[in-house]
Amino acid sequence: MDGQSGFRDPSTIHFQQDFIRRYIIGSYWLIIVLALPLWWQTTSIERLPLPTSEVYLQATKKFQLPLELCADSAFSGHVPAMQDLIRQSASYLDAKIILGRDCSMYQFSGYAVLPGTQLAIQDKTLYCSPDLPVDNFTSVLLSLVAPPMDRRAAQYAPRYRLSFTLLNEDASAGQVIISWDIQKAIIQHISPITSALGTLHNFTIESQVQFHAPLAFEPQPLSDGTYGLTPEDLTVFINSAEWTLSSSSSNDPVLHFVLFVPSTKRRPLVILNSDGSSSNSSAFLIPQWGGVVILNLPPPPPTMQFLEASELRSSFSTFSRQLLTLLGYPRLHPSISSLRKTALTPWQIDSLLRQRMHENIVRSHDTLRSTVTLVSQIEGMPVDDKVHSQVQGSLKALHELFDFARTHLTLEEMLTLSARALTLSSKAFFHPGMLALLYFPAEHKYAVYTPLFATAMIPMLAAALRELAAWRKERKARAAAAVIPEGDKNVNEPNSSDTAVSADTDAMDAGR
Amino acid sequence: MLLWLYPLFLASYAYGSQHTNNWAVLVSSSRYWFNYRHMSNALGMYRTVKRLGIPDSNIILMLADDVACNARNKFPGSVYANPGRHLDLYGENIEVDYRGYEVTVENFLRLLTGRLDDSVPRSKRLLTDSKSNIFIYLTGHGGNEFLKFQDNEEISAHDIADAFHQMYEGGRYNEIFFMADTCQANSMFSKFYSPNVLATGSSVVGENSYSHENDFDVGVAVIDSYTHYVLEYMEHVNKTSRLTMADLFTSYDVPKIGSHPGVRSDLFPRPLGPQHPMDQYGRGQGWTVEGGGEWRGRDGEAYKRGREALITDFFGGVVSVDVEDEFGEELLFPPAPEEKTKPSPKPLPSARSASDSSASSQLSSSVDVFTQAYLTLFFGLLISIVFKGGYSWRSRSKGLVEG
Repeated sequence: MDGQSGFRDPSTIHFQQDFIRRYIIGSYWLIIVLALPLWWQTTSIERLPLPTSEVYLQATKKFQLPLELCADSAFSGHVPAMQDLIRQSASYLDAKIILGRDCSMYQFSGYAVLPGTQLAIQDKTLYCSPDLPVDNFTSVLLSLVAPPMDRRAAQYAPRYRLSFTLLNEDASAGQVIISWDIQKAIIQHISPITSALGTLHNFTIESQVQFHAPLAFEPQPLSDGTYGLTPEDLTVFINSAEWTLSSSSSNDPVLHFVLFVPSTKRRPLVILNSDGSSSNSSAFLIPQWGGVVILNLPPPPPTMQFLEASELRSSFSTFSRQLLTLLGYPRLHPSISSLRKTALTPWQIDSLLRQRMHENIVRSHDTLRSTVTLVSQIEGMPVDDKVHSQVQGSLKALHELFDFARTHLTLEEMLTLSARALTLSSKAFFHPGMLALLYFPAEHKYAVYTPLFATAMIPMLAAALRELAAWRKERKARAAAAVIPEGDKNVNEPNSSDTAVSADTDAMDAGR
Repeated sequence: MLLWLYPLFLASYAYGSQHTNNWAVLVSSSRYWFNYRHMSNALGMYRTVKRLGIPDSNIILMLADDVACNARNKFPGSVYANPGRHLDLYGENIEVDYRGYEVTVENFLRLLTGRLDDSVPRSKRLLTDSKSNIFIYLTGHGGNEFLKFQDNEEISAHDIADAFHQMYEGGRYNEIFFMADTCQANSMFSKFYSPNVLATGSSVVGENSYSHENDFDVGVAVIDSYTHYVLEYMEHVNKTSRLTMADLFTSYDVPKIGSHPGVRSDLFPRPLGPQHPMDQYGRGQGWTVEGGGEWRGRDGEAYKRGREALITDFFGGVVSVDVEDEFGEELLFPPAPEEKTKPSPKPLPSARSASDSSASSQLSSSVDVFTQAYLTLFFGLLISIVFKGGYSWRSRSKGLVEG
């Protein structure tokens, strides 16, 4: 039988003991088997199941913000046109127009349109002449209820940093502004806005003065001794390489406000229109980024100067207008006058709230959908419990918003919920853990693992198979020995000799 | 009167183009002194995008090695892209955002997808939104569908394509212009599948991308050929140029460049330029690829409508500014109290995150317990087998044999 199998029967190698050899071979396999789960656990990616169907269902839902408007019965002719227009241009509003009731009582809780001599707004009441043509009336009302979002406005963020910078172009050229009364200017011009819009955003304000802020280009000298900035110059005005305009203390989006004091050598610095004539404006706005005001101080300059709040007044009122534009606060329709003489009317703030809320809901729907789509599309993308809970949290906020919007929630609470949904969904999407594994094609796997594992596995497999064969043969022999009676042992020569040999080794071992 | 002007005034905000800001990501992925040219490729692009108006804050420059301060550099602190050394690309005003060992595949992908740790500063982030046009330039040593980073890892075309798709899903770009100058560069954009991506590369699959010139004082090749000619062409472009992408692509001159550049426009919805110049793309002296140069999307080009893709769409700075009109009267506010209490922040994160973290810590600790238990069991078994198991097994096996 030895001759047939081609290799030596392991049990005939007399200096080895079967059990030790088998135990050694077995322990190798045992380690491999035990290591398998460990290997599995360390190489598998944690992909918690996301509530995919729930997300898709939620993303198809359209949110309709309730809006109640009371119109005096004098406007009964305008109402159908009004309702149509709102439905067309602002599908996110569920506008209900109540007609004929005594709206002057109603104005405390909702919005009211009352007859008046001229177009005017006070808090949440619009006074309007009933003789105004329907088209004009509807466009005025639409500008209040659902004004179009300004393209220059920055994207919604729950937190903003406002950075105010006073730049001396060249303090060594003869005049330097050493400081400014920024606190007072902010209290006068900026705080009213930040507190009125405090429900929308949380603002952090920082300010600084810089003494050397060169431009990256040369302004053109003009024939009348002034220096001009062409429209192209304005697009490269911000020299971000050399001006540090905001601290890097947080990653909140920053709105920059720059008060630029030109060097005495280049004064006055004026903005040119596209036809080359000088514009009478000294400020410009960079969409989504911030605003710049150029401050040309009068010619006989004191060498050191402190800017009083009164001198900052026109610059900061420009900044406040720019801030409102950047925050998306709608402009009052030019034909409406405000009776309260304040810049911000509660009606418009409410409209902005609705708009931002709508924007947030759409964005969080998109982000949630993108998250689950990506996770299902890209197989190597991990989803840990943080992402999972953020997606859940975002969904929960949206559910709450959709379920209770009609009954329990105020506009501010709804905005808070929508902001939470947005924040959590984008946190989930941009979670640092959601980095997919690098692409590793199958042929690379074979190329890498075959040399590593094949060399180790082939001898182990061979040893195991050989041992198995020997063990089976042994068992057969033992079975045969048990069946055949003692006297007939001689007939079964080869097998019995095998047994004898192994018995010998065992005897030897036991004797040792 | 004013009433009728109002819609006009609103309409004037509807800009011609869809983007409001431009960004650039410039990557040189090779280490070592002899790869000087890859650094100067990226720095040449850096100079050009900056000249055309992208502010430094919107440029992410990744240089895998610092040749300017290399000990072998005869001109310390300078990088030149031409043998005459006319123009120092390193110059005085340069901001390298990722340098040396920070230039890794992981960081590049994190940068693109925005999945960065909270501690990463703003200057190292691609803070784009759905209105951003991004120019992405890669140079280094590559092969079919991969690019080597730092001589020890590689990024594949699939990874970039997936990253772009994640950017698309996350609303991180309006349009991307992708350019690669590596060997077999055209394979790098072969796997893209996200919309609004325009791509070009220096060489077809199976072809090298060659260096342009040596400088005998610097001692190495100073720039790659493809980049050199692209940069040379870009010198004709200024901030108000109306040159189109078709003009750039048709300027590719195969005998000069030494390889066959490719274009991919099938994912890009706008026409590359007036039909006639782009018709000539890939035909003429030097082009050997069957049916003209490699241009995926040639068939669809005739059906595209809309504004042509200008070079300045991807290399512009601030797209438009708005000069404040003097009509804006001063805003009036009710007299403000001296000490304004700040509105309290929304109770958004605190309660939530607390519950989140507790949940996660529970979960992670349960995982730890499992691992620990498993390891204890595993090593315990191992030890018991090694030191004790033998005896009991011995007696059993002895019994077996004797039986």
